[in-house]
Amino acid sequence: MTKKQAFTEVIKENQGIIFKITSVYTNHKEDQQDLYQEIVYQLFKSYKTFKGNAKISTWMYRVALNTSITYLKKEKRGGVRIPIEKILTYKTEQEDTIIEDRIVLLHTQIKKLNIIEKGIILLYLEGKNYDEIAEITGFTNTNVGTRLSRIKEKLKTQILK
Amino acid sequence: MELEEMKSLWSNLSKEVEQQKILTDNLIMEMTKERINSKLNKIALPEMIGALVCFAGALFILANFSKLDTWYFITCGIFTISYLILLPIVSLRSLFKMKNVSLDDTNYKQTLIKFSRNKKRYMMIQKSSIYFSLLLVFTAMPLAGKIINNKDIFFESNIWYIYLPVMLVFLFFFSRWGIKCVNNVTQSSEDLLKDLEKSSSSN
Repeated sequence: MTKKQAFTEVIKENQGIIFKITSVYTNHKEDQQDLYQEIVYQLFKSYKTFKGNAKISTWMYRVALNTSITYLKKEKRGGVRIPIEKILTYKTEQEDTIIEDRIVLLHTQIKKLNIIEKGIILLYLEGKNYDEIAEITGFTNTNVGTRLSRIKEKLKTQILK
Repeated sequence: MELEEMKSLWSNLSKEVEQQKILTDNLIMEMTKERINSKLNKIALPEMIGALVCFAGALFILANFSKLDTWYFITCGIFTISYLILLPIVSLRSLFKMKNVSLDDTNYKQTLIKFSRNKKRYMMIQKSSIYFSLLLVFTAMPLAGKIINNKDIFFESNIWYIYLPVMLVFLFFFSRWGIKCVNNVTQSSEDLLKDLEKSSSSN
């Protein structure tokens, strides 16, 4: 398998991660498409030098989250967007509308958090433990814990409002 | 909503998203190729166009510099040329620095710190450019009059009676709006940096 094939396999395998990250860091469909494309491009660039020291998912979260931080909305609007409408118009197929509503509510509230909190809660919800979150974000385990309980309180208050 | 409920809702969402395998090899390579080909699109276009206009202006004054025959026109000329050349260079350099933060060998916190610092620096440059543009308004008009019509409008008080109040009102509102925007962005970067530095010292 060539490096290019290996890369496309990794992306296909983890496309859900990119979708979830882009949906948290953007507010509009066009921005999400741009960010999605930018993340794939940054991963492509970084894959050439990826030596496998970290887990592939850790590397992927790191590059995708860093790209989301440095993503500047207005400058990318001029570029060509590859039609990936289907992915980005994801609609849950949940039959239970209560769960669907709760997911939408959670998503809306996460978007209101600041950029540090967004990254930490996203990794937590993705099932990462404190060690993994600390490795990806650069905060200590204790700091991750403290921040998570603050985020929990914040989300609770936001949702109750 | 408790964290456990959030986790379970997120896992529901994940399952749904994971099932939708829509990306193909071609689509992925098309996305990367488009980004490689449109490298120039990533450079902030308005800033690039602005810089070109400034350089053209500087070149125009430079080409007609011999027409500036008094000390005050020469001073205005030197100030305007320096402004039109230096500011776009400093501004673009700062913009590139902000955008070229390494993404694969730094963690989230390091990227946030670097990006916020560079962003703050960029916004400070934008702020000083607003102040300098106030001065530019008072030097550009006499220069244009001298170069194009060979008129010394410093001694034509009628023009100043109209030009000055109009420009002052315009600049007052423009700079108030511009500085407010810059201050908001700078403040949010500062808050973020404070939060990150606080966590560094408590670690």
